[in-house]
Amino acid sequence: MNALATFSLWAQRNRWVWAAIGVLLLWLVLSVVTNRFSLSSLSGIVLSASFLTVVGVGQMFVVTTGRGNIDLSVASVITLSAFVALLTIRGQDANLAIGLVAAVLLGLAVGALNSLLVVGLGIPAIIATLATGYVLATATLLSNKAIPGFAVSPALKDLATGRVSGVPIMAIIAILGVAATSFVLRYTVFGQLLSAVGQNRAAARLAGIRNGPVIASAFIISSVLASLDGLLLGAYIGGAFLEMGQPYLLQSIAAVVLGGTLIFGGSATAVGTLFASILLILIVTTMQIIGLPPGAQDIVQGIVVIFVLALAGRQAIVRRSAADPAGNDGAATSTAGRPS
Amino acid sequence: MSHLAVADQESAAAPIAPIRQSVVALGQITKSFGPTLANTGIDLSVGAGDIIGLVGGNGAGKSTLMRILCGSMWPTLGSISFAGEEVNFADYGTAEAQKRGIRMVHQELSLCANLSVAENFFLETPGDSASRPGWRSLYRTRARSALDAVFPGNGVDADAEVGHLSIAERQMVEIARAAATPGVKLIVLDEPTSSLDLDRSKQLRTFIRERAKAGLAFIFISHKLQEIIDIATEIVVLRNGRTAWQGKVADASIGKLVQLMGGDANPVHQHTVSAASSRDILVRLAGPLTAELGRDIDIVRGEIVGLAGLEGSGQKELLHAIFSPDRRQSASVIRHAEAGFIAGDRQKEGVFPLWSVLGNISIGAVARRPALGLVSDRANRDTAADAADRLRLDDKRFQSNITELSGGNQQKALVARALVADTPIILLDDPTRGVDIATKQDFYRLCNEIARGGRSLIWHTTEDAELLACDRVLVFSGGRIVRELSGEAITESAIVGASFTQPAHKHAGAGRKDAAKTGLARRLVNAAPFIGLATVLAVMIAANPAVASSFGLDLLLMPALSLVLVTAAQMFIVGGSEIDLGVGAFAGLVSVLSATLLYDQPWLGALALVAALAAYAGLGGVIQARKIPAIVVTLGASFIWVGLGYALQPTPGGASPEWLSALFNWSLGFVPTSIILIAAVALISLVIDRLPLGVVLRGFGNNPTAMIRSGWSSTRYALVRYLIAGLFAGAAGLSLTAINTASDINSGNSFTLLGVAAVVMGGCSLLGGVISPIGAVAGAVTLSLIGALLGTLNVSSDYNAATQGLILVALLTLRSLTADRRSEQ
Repeated sequence: MNALATFSLWAQRNRWVWAAIGVLLLWLVLSVVTNRFSLSSLSGIVLSASFLTVVGVGQMFVVTTGRGNIDLSVASVITLSAFVALLTIRGQDANLAIGLVAAVLLGLAVGALNSLLVVGLGIPAIIATLATGYVLATATLLSNKAIPGFAVSPALKDLATGRVSGVPIMAIIAILGVAATSFVLRYTVFGQLLSAVGQNRAAARLAGIRNGPVIASAFIISSVLASLDGLLLGAYIGGAFLEMGQPYLLQSIAAVVLGGTLIFGGSATAVGTLFASILLILIVTTMQIIGLPPGAQDIVQGIVVIFVLALAGRQAIVRRSAADPAGNDGAATSTAGRPS
Repeated sequence: MSHLAVADQESAAAPIAPIRQSVVALGQITKSFGPTLANTGIDLSVGAGDIIGLVGGNGAGKSTLMRILCGSMWPTLGSISFAGEEVNFADYGTAEAQKRGIRMVHQELSLCANLSVAENFFLETPGDSASRPGWRSLYRTRARSALDAVFPGNGVDADAEVGHLSIAERQMVEIARAAATPGVKLIVLDEPTSSLDLDRSKQLRTFIRERAKAGLAFIFISHKLQEIIDIATEIVVLRNGRTAWQGKVADASIGKLVQLMGGDANPVHQHTVSAASSRDILVRLAGPLTAELGRDIDIVRGEIVGLAGLEGSGQKELLHAIFSPDRRQSASVIRHAEAGFIAGDRQKEGVFPLWSVLGNISIGAVARRPALGLVSDRANRDTAADAADRLRLDDKRFQSNITELSGGNQQKALVARALVADTPIILLDDPTRGVDIATKQDFYRLCNEIARGGRSLIWHTTEDAELLACDRVLVFSGGRIVRELSGEAITESAIVGASFTQPAHKHAGAGRKDAAKTGLARRLVNAAPFIGLATVLAVMIAANPAVASSFGLDLLLMPALSLVLVTAAQMFIVGGSEIDLGVGAFAGLVSVLSATLLYDQPWLGALALVAALAAYAGLGGVIQARKIPAIVVTLGASFIWVGLGYALQPTPGGASPEWLSALFNWSLGFVPTSIILIAAVALISLVIDRLPLGVVLRGFGNNPTAMIRSGWSSTRYALVRYLIAGLFAGAAGLSLTAINTASDINSGNSFTLLGVAAVVMGGCSLLGGVISPIGAVAGAVTLSLIGALLGTLNVSSDYNAATQGLILVALLTLRSLTADRRSEQ
């Protein structure tokens, strides 16, 4: 009982643990029920999840800036980046560096545009990134017409699909990235500033933080990661197609929220995003194994997101009322003691 | 404190004889917030015709007591009775309090700024409207006469938007609104004169006296003791949550009240002027700010400068201008050293609620380091320990969450934050608000030490007594410094006197000219959707005159109808300051339902449509009840709608029921059907918006707190809002089926974002509360014509999305440049 209390206290500070437990349970159940699950099948799932993790971590930075900020342009960035990779690399390893530079530049440009709209002009993030997405959609259509063919550079292909003693290289990249992100969030000034800005923007400003650059860098990180992800994803599937980034829009947000990052901002966990990505891919794979139609898969994903948010929303309400001892709104009425 | 308790019992032993009929009585009210007691055993009885002056320092428990009286908070212990009949608190709430004739005029005004004066009167007493046409004129008349009754010659226009009124005018509206409520028996006025000038304040007091003769009771809360003595029949003094004194006004004097409130009992500080003799200037104030004084003001090392004046006279603005001088007032404020800020509104501007005490302190130093530097708990602890020590803040509590601390200790942590930031200038924005006496004393002592240590403190306070502790006091009025007091000249009466000085209104005229200019720009931006639509149509007609025919227009505009409907749906959601990312998918689902189930089995189909609509409306309820972001929920819901559609109909197909096709396929001959239908959508949304229901929805979009205070249910109206949106989105789905004579679950997807774009183009504010149906419809038509326009101009349809995106960005940019920036970055 006491151990349970200790654990629940610890879990409050380490919200990623719930996603990890979810992965473990679902995987155990699947192994027992189907007999088809093994470590190697898990590694396949982790490989797919790695692509989601990379874009999810970027999305996490934006969500952490608070005020309901979300980057809706990641899906278009992934797609466009895959096309740009085809255009620049043309299947030659020799062009790999150019392709990489192009992907980074694309990410920087989109991130800078989003920051300009959000920070500079004060346009709400969702509208700004939405508009950016429109512009990128046209760019994608144009590059779709211009690509010479679907050849992928062998080196990049190895990177995206290869394994080192059974472990997918992509998974190693994703895990290293998550470790680096965790370090940045926890042990650098930037991580602290990001959290402060996300928790209370007015307080952050008055504490001497320049909020604009912090928020802008979150958007830039998100776009650059999405762009690199598109490059690798293109190599993984062996080409590019319109709408290939689309599934990553909801899934990246779901991975962030499911992993324990607060949707209201201020607290992020990269490890949680990693586990939640695995969990989401596991759920989708399970539904495919059971043979649910694609429609049902969409429904289940939608329900998972709403359900988790509804639960997390409650936490936020509790937290807010605790932060507000004067209880100066209607919410206090319901928690106030009754007269005897 | 023991001697006070004795005084308390003495006064309680001699209750005021209830000659007149009792209106309401509170008995032995005790309210605890965790370990702190905000109210302890307070009795308060109000009889008809009483004018009770309620006084006490900040944190004395006045607000808590009034919240309990008005039903917005339950006490821990105590009773309430109306005309002798006891009421259980469990059955008592804001609505019940209003029903029993209690009205409160809040200090932080609770009007909806986006609505007219008359509409705000409607929100308070909705009963009589009955939705009949002309209901507005009823409330216009009522607002007019109510305002004239209290404030003769006020000149407030009943049709003016409240957001365009001055603070004083808003306060007058709010007071008049409460006074005009039918059946009102008791009006609680919380600092009603804080922004009124002397004449208006006199008018108000005359009004109160007249109404009290007629039997209406008042509770008058004010820091201006002169007013209390002038108006009240009885006075209640609160101190530290207890009744310190209660009695007839004849037995009271200002000096006595000050003493009872604990005013002069604490010699606030003994700051020695010698420390301030340095000539090291840290801040210089000049320009229009000091024009009244005719000279610049220098703030030097080692002094404490107080900022006084009526609330909202420019003190806060000066603090912020000193903190970040690159704003508008840059010419007036020159800062020679770094500045730190200690906020008094701890919840909004002070604490980081997710962090420990340590994190909250050390951010002050961390914020001033390069972003790529490393942080460590140990280093933070070492820096913070020193500051905490000086503040007598126990460093064993470093690991506790900041929200677990009392208000006073939170404030100490914020001071510690400013200390570790180590800035020569420290700005204080009413820092002792809601802080207990003992901590206040600590606080004053500390401020003296800090100043003596060679920093300068600039202190804005709403407690005039605290100003007596300053070396110098700058008194504000109307955004200017009108008086500088120093040393012995700092007295409460001098401060209050100077607060009412009227500065020469030289810059008011210039301001108005500016306003006219931005007003013109804003009108231009608002006309943009119509100009855009006209341009697009003109270009197309020029390229192909056949477009201008009835048939040509119909061909062009019919496909726009679905987008227009989705836009109308999105507009109502945006009016509540939310965005629905699933509305297009929902239209697609309705389209699929109508082309499959409704076609094959009409009854089952109808049932499914109703169920879908209920689910959609329920979503709104969930968002409101759980306080979760609508964007993510609706994004998740969009997957559910699409999934359902796929499950029902994996590939496009189905057929449109005959009656449905007939609904969209008729003709009046000369006028294109599509134009009639689109106009009908605009008209219906306009009518909904003009109905009392529309006013309530806009009220919620602007100021939900005020709406809840006026007794409206937020969850119910969230349901209604989503139901209206669902009806429009459903109609969009039906139109898709009828126009395409088949269905495709993906047919509505692109409408979601186009709808948002159209709504924004049309002039609705994403902050909520502003709805402009005609503009949004024009925006929707323009956007849906972009594809055809590009075709006419021989541009590839690939550019369709980019054009739409760029139009959206351009409009938002224009809007953000012309609108005043309401939210700070």
